[in-house]
Amino acid sequence: MPPADLDLIRGTLDLLILKTLSWGPMHGLAVLRWVEHVTGQRLQITEGALYPALHRMEQKGWLDAEWSYTERNREAKFYKLTASGRRQLAAELSKWSRYTEAVNLVITAQVAR
Amino acid sequence: MTRHDPERRKLFRLPASRRRLGSEIDRELHFHIEGRIDELVARGYSRDAAEREVFERFGDVTSVREECEEIDVMTHRRRELEELRAALARDVRHAMRGLARRPAFSAVVVLTLALGIGATTAIFTLLDAVVLRPLPYPSPERLVVIQHPVPGVGDDHRWGMSQAGYFYFRKHAKSFANIGVFTRGTTNITMPDGAERTDMASVSASALDVLNARPHLGRLFTDDDNRPDAAGVVVLGYHFWQQRFNADPQIVGKSITLASTPYEIVGVMSPAFDLPDYRAQIWMPQRLDPDAPAQNAHYLQAVARLRPGVDIAAAQADAAGLTSRLPEEFPLAYSRGFMEESRFTVLLEPLRDFVIGGVRRTLWILLGAVSIVLIIACANVANLFLVRAESRGREVAIRTALGASRSHLAGHYLAESLVLSVLGGIGGAALAYLAMRALLVLDPSSVPRLAELSFGWRPVAVAFVVALGIGGLLALLPLLKLSVTGVDVATLREGGRAQTASRRQLTARSTLIAAQMALAVMLLAAAGLMLRTFDRLRSVHPGVDTSNLLTFDVVLPFSRYGGIGLRGTATYGPSFRYYREMLPRLAALPDVESVAITTALPIQDSGGCAAVYVESQQSANRDAAPCLPAVIASPGYFTTMGITVRGQAPTWSDMESKTGGVVVSRAFAERMWPGEDAIGKRLRPNGFGEPYYHVVGVASDVRAAGLDKPPSEMVYYPMIPIEGAPLWQPPRGASFVIRTRGVDPLALVPTVRRTLSGFDREVPMASIATMETVVAKSLAKTTFAMILLAIAGGMALILSAVGIYGVISYTVDQRRAEIGVRMALGARRGQVGRMVVTQSLRVAACGIGVGLAGAIFTTRIMQSLLYGVSPTDPITLVAVTLVLVAIAALASYAPARRATAVDPVEVLRRE
Repeated sequence: MPPADLDLIRGTLDLLILKTLSWGPMHGLAVLRWVEHVTGQRLQITEGALYPALHRMEQKGWLDAEWSYTERNREAKFYKLTASGRRQLAAELSKWSRYTEAVNLVITAQVAR
Repeated sequence: MTRHDPERRKLFRLPASRRRLGSEIDRELHFHIEGRIDELVARGYSRDAAEREVFERFGDVTSVREECEEIDVMTHRRRELEELRAALARDVRHAMRGLARRPAFSAVVVLTLALGIGATTAIFTLLDAVVLRPLPYPSPERLVVIQHPVPGVGDDHRWGMSQAGYFYFRKHAKSFANIGVFTRGTTNITMPDGAERTDMASVSASALDVLNARPHLGRLFTDDDNRPDAAGVVVLGYHFWQQRFNADPQIVGKSITLASTPYEIVGVMSPAFDLPDYRAQIWMPQRLDPDAPAQNAHYLQAVARLRPGVDIAAAQADAAGLTSRLPEEFPLAYSRGFMEESRFTVLLEPLRDFVIGGVRRTLWILLGAVSIVLIIACANVANLFLVRAESRGREVAIRTALGASRSHLAGHYLAESLVLSVLGGIGGAALAYLAMRALLVLDPSSVPRLAELSFGWRPVAVAFVVALGIGGLLALLPLLKLSVTGVDVATLREGGRAQTASRRQLTARSTLIAAQMALAVMLLAAAGLMLRTFDRLRSVHPGVDTSNLLTFDVVLPFSRYGGIGLRGTATYGPSFRYYREMLPRLAALPDVESVAITTALPIQDSGGCAAVYVESQQSANRDAAPCLPAVIASPGYFTTMGITVRGQAPTWSDMESKTGGVVVSRAFAERMWPGEDAIGKRLRPNGFGEPYYHVVGVASDVRAAGLDKPPSEMVYYPMIPIEGAPLWQPPRGASFVIRTRGVDPLALVPTVRRTLSGFDREVPMASIATMETVVAKSLAKTTFAMILLAIAGGMALILSAVGIYGVISYTVDQRRAEIGVRMALGARRGQVGRMVVTQSLRVAACGIGVGLAGAIFTTRIMQSLLYGVSPTDPITLVAVTLVLVAIAALASYAPARRATAVDPVEVLRRE
């Protein structure tokens, strides 16, 4: 398994999970795979961060969890975005875009001589 | 993907335990790890290598597992709480809907509870403000009042401190952190817009220290300000400064004219500070001279702060030791003879007890009374609940059959009774608030500390605690019934046809009613006794004709009217001339029939007392010399007041020629000269030698000390003492009495005020009142207790009537079938009606019997409030019994009518 290129910026894990789950209910492994797949392995989430994050988001009511069966008929815990989870996703997305815009402004700014 | 239904999930969720939560996490993580391994194996790893790779990447599985478990446990707890809240909300919503469907039942319950809770809360608020709450001083439990009981002078007589005593105690007493003295009084203040009388206090600097006073502006007093030769300074009361000086921040250093003398304002008192139960508008230093010769004049009120760790008993012993040494220290002022005759001692009383006085007992009695009302209200509501629980037997059976557990039913009942009782609590708090406002309008001047009364969070809290308690108890009732009888599923089979109430249920309800009646009897007996007391007091003739009589006070400024006369009339002149001039001017006003002055208005002023020695008795029996108020009366006083005089009261020319004629009251005459004619006898005030005054008239008796006191022994002295007698202070302060020609006395006030200020604009009118008001005010304590007890009694009566009506009417409905059968078998309508009324009366009789026994036992605590009736006054008890029997009969009349209207044919057909 190749090492990840990028460390996860703090605070973005929730955003990644919420966005991933917006495509439909998934179990933890699927969330992890999806992120790795989409980023071409450049972004890696560790299990030690993923599972506590999932459980915490369930507690906050952003996710609902349910035991169900995978395509290969294995029992797994599926997470699903709740209405409040969708609202949270929208909020995090706008926060993220404002954040990156601001960061971009700083790093592309030219000093007038 | 699977369907996701939170409702269903909730319904079938397994009971969560820590173990189950843990095993779920294990399964989840296991699935993850297995999936990862499969992934790698599929890519060609060996099983072992794949496992190594996966675990290495995963990190510490146990710690992840523990972290997740902790989160889940918390999540679970939160959910449970939320569900409980939701269940409660559901039950409450359900209860509200159910209650809204039975508006009559709900309204009666809420109203009944509101009445009971409101009355209790109102009286509790009063008790709390007056009795329970500590006085507004730091460490108030260490504050005591120092008094000198003198049982030899009069039964309840207590003197304050003397100047010499104050300095002696301050120097030698070891139990007190500090001792302070003060006097209260009034002063004439001259403002640009005229003169007025203002409440003032003269205080020692130490008194301000004892009570921990702080200035709002400037400074308060120092010991130097108390010295007799100190410059004249005053501190303004906060409210006075706000109202009369527009809160002028530059006030300190300005001058103010009090009693025609200028004073410098050195400060403004903090708004939070008052003397105990007294609001001073002007504060002055009490003049205290440590070098003055000791005098037996106890005009100072003394308040002291105990040293930390010293209890009142130790301080009492300390003070008693000092008091017993007074004769050695000051032999001239405290002779052995005086100490023995007056039985002069010292008494330390907690300041709070001193302030609250006798009203504590009244308020506790009233709280007892309204608690009884509350209990009666609860009994009524309990009865309604019992009836309702019975009629709901079918509903409960259906719910049980559908699987409602006992705890479901409990939640339901609890929600229902809590909704009702909280609504009752809200209504009660509102009623209590209105009652407090009404009470302040009623202004019972007999209740101290009313200025501190406020409707804060405490009464509201009381109302709600009481409401919740009642709600909980009421919820128990149907549950209790449920656990006694169990759910009767047979109810369903019978198609819900009403059955006759079981004997036990009926007994329970009749017992409640009887208990109610018993409590009502006790309350009504108390109210009746107060009513009788009030009636007795009202029928006591005060000895003066109170109608059309205006009274007011004046105080003549010392600087122009003062001066202590020794012998002769030179210094007596100014004040005497004032009255001599003023009385004819007032008498000449339209609608004025006559006018006079006195130094002690009956009932209002107690005045000091001076020993009176009767000629020929003084050597034989010095102790028998009565100490009587020294009353000075102007000519015309007796006719103005409606007091008849046998003989000849002194006229102006008698007074001016100092003939020394006095008028004595009949009570005095009969005690001093039994069987003889008092006219021509001789007497003198105080112990000094000749000359004697001679009695020229005997006045009809006046109850000057209060309507509940025996006729007063009085000596009315002339305005100018007899030639050669030592002069008392000229009466600079006096009460005017004006009899009108049938017009409202208060209507005369403007013209009288103009006449007074036309003569001397620095002498204002004060304490303006009709004599009728003065008498009514003296009955304030009785009136207050009577009105409140009567209200409580009335409420008890109404609630009992409603209660007995409810139960009798319910039984009649339940017994329709039985009544129908009886009538079919030949019972006449009259018999049926009598049967119903008799049932009601039988319950009432039990209650009344118990209540009478209770009343005889409990009304004894009211003894001190009563006048002229015994606590077991048979007339009151008989009247109360008759009223309640009548109420019971009346309450059963309508149900009885309904019973006689039962149509046997219809009833039998239905059976």
